Amino acid sequence: MGRLLLIVTALLFLAVFLLLPLLAVFAQALAKGFGAYYLAISAPMAWAAVRLTLLVAAIAVPLNLVFGVAAAWAIAKFNFRGKSALITLIDLPFAVSPVIAGMIFILVFGTHGWFGGYLRAHHIRVVFAVPGIVLATIFVTFPFIARELIPVMQTQGKDDEETALSLGATGWQTFWRVTLPNIRWGLLYGVLLCNARAMGEFGAVSVVSGHIRGVTNTMPLHVEILYNEYNYTAAFAVASLLALLALLTLAGKSILEWRQPELRHAARVPRDRTRRANT
Amino acid sequence: MSIALRGVTKQFGEYAAVENINLDVATGALMALLGPSGSGKTTLLRIIGGLETPDRGQVLFDGQDATLWPIGDRKVGFVFQQYALFRHMTVFENVAFGLKVKRRRERPSTPDIRNKVQDLLALVQLSWAPDRYPAQLSGGQRQRVALARAMAIDPQVLLLDEPFGALDSQVRHELRRWLRRLHDELHFTSIIVTHDQQEAIEVADTVVVLNQGRIEQVGIPGEIYDLPESAFVHRFLGQVNELPVLLRDGRAYVGPIDISAAADVQTGSAKNIALIRPHEIEIGHADSGWPAAVVAVRVIGPVVRLDLCAEGLPIHEPLEAEISRERFEAERFTVGQRVGLRFRRWQVYPAAA
Repeated sequence: MGRLLLIVTALLFLAVFLLLPLLAVFAQALAKGFGAYYLAISAPMAWAAVRLTLLVAAIAVPLNLVFGVAAAWAIAKFNFRGKSALITLIDLPFAVSPVIAGMIFILVFGTHGWFGGYLRAHHIRVVFAVPGIVLATIFVTFPFIARELIPVMQTQGKDDEETALSLGATGWQTFWRVTLPNIRWGLLYGVLLCNARAMGEFGAVSVVSGHIRGVTNTMPLHVEILYNEYNYTAAFAVASLLALLALLTLAGKSILEWRQPELRHAARVPRDRTRRANT
Repeated sequence: MSIALRGVTKQFGEYAAVENINLDVATGALMALLGPSGSGKTTLLRIIGGLETPDRGQVLFDGQDATLWPIGDRKVGFVFQQYALFRHMTVFENVAFGLKVKRRRERPSTPDIRNKVQDLLALVQLSWAPDRYPAQLSGGQRQRVALARAMAIDPQVLLLDEPFGALDSQVRHELRRWLRRLHDELHFTSIIVTHDQQEAIEVADTVVVLNQGRIEQVGIPGEIYDLPESAFVHRFLGQVNELPVLLRDGRAYVGPIDISAAADVQTGSAKNIALIRPHEIEIGHADSGWPAAVVAVRVIGPVVRLDLCAEGLPIHEPLEAEISRERFEAERFTVGQRVGLRFRRWQVYPAAA
């Protein structure tokens, strides 16, 4: 009875807070029919926003991937001075409001900011341009991959890597053949979260973007502009594209997991008594 | 390959993990590093294998200074307590790993790799399992895969860090005997780290007892057990009864008993203790020997342990004695019975140790 109640509560919660809004987005987007929908998403300004969003994610995610793996590796496998300071710093973007994150970049790179004069003299635009949006996105999505990997790498310890080295593998071989396969699920999950946030970030990007249509508008910003102009169909059409991108990444993850043979094997076999066989 | 340690010292922060260790391991020896946790045995093994660098001192491989050799160049096979199998690889791929990562010039051909892995799997009795994943094997099978993998690179030295610690006692016992046979067949130098004195005595030619980063004693297993040089070694290698002893006019007294005739005194200190193992206490009839009463009787397979309350001894807990099952069947000691004790051998050490 208690179990049933729990399941029903969870499902009800999911339906009301997740499924319903998602359906509402698609319903609104298609309210005036497919023609209007197509028109809304094929508008040049909408396409520019989609392109910019994909570009920003394509730069921010790989950079944070490299950083996240490096930071998690350093924290999980070595002891050094300032380790706890590094862990705290990684969490900083979670702790501060995205608006403040945007303000920081205005303060540093804006016209009246610290490097404002230098940048203007060299005709480099950071704020109210694509570089600023990329920087703000990197800042906000900074912790996702590292946070995902640190506990995974910590539970796995150093035994596997030390074994590989003792068998004559180079550091590079050890990373590609042993470490990376061991962390791939955590890594994939981190990348997906990082990507979702990179595409969806509103606050920080809004501050540094300047809202120049067709130039510095990402999808979330474009949705807001359309909405403020009472252009609901177009707003929800673009919003539905964003939602679709998110659903696609989740589907991709499920397919990848399903295709991993050893994961299915591992699930069938009783676990080792002394240590979890799979993390 | 012979291994020698010269003045090896390693600190972790303020804490000295090992201090000024000198040790020689002969070619083909099977040596056990025995000690409680924190005694530095694993650190020592990791220094020999190249996973740690000593702060001071040298590691010599066949007389050559190998202290700073990278781990990959040392030709050591490592076996860890938790197996450290690559879980995304099959058993075959695990064993082949050390061959596949070799530089192209040194790498055997694919058929050669296959043959070698098959031979190794036959050696560890896992020929049936090349396509299994580690998660599909039992603990003992996984550790045999780890051994085969370590041996694939033809190591000169095999380093085993509590290799059987995670297994249940039945499997542990089998694997120990199997490892000993394997070692005798293949003649590499092996060093095994363990905190289990029985394991060390059962498997090794030489036992090194470590305590707080220092070597307490090095010897063959029987010697270590029978002639411990310190109270620490004496206690660590088996059960003991421990009593304060008084040295006076060249004689030794435990309470009112003069134990001089049976005592091995290795001390000049003022405060001392006398140690006696349970099987060194003989139990006889109440009319001969030191008077005592039987408090408890436990039959443990081939031996029987008795708790005894001896009269007038400076000890609050009962003495523990051990006799053979046959002797017990003949005498049929019961709880509450009055008996007479004879103490076959005492060892006297300074009390501080």
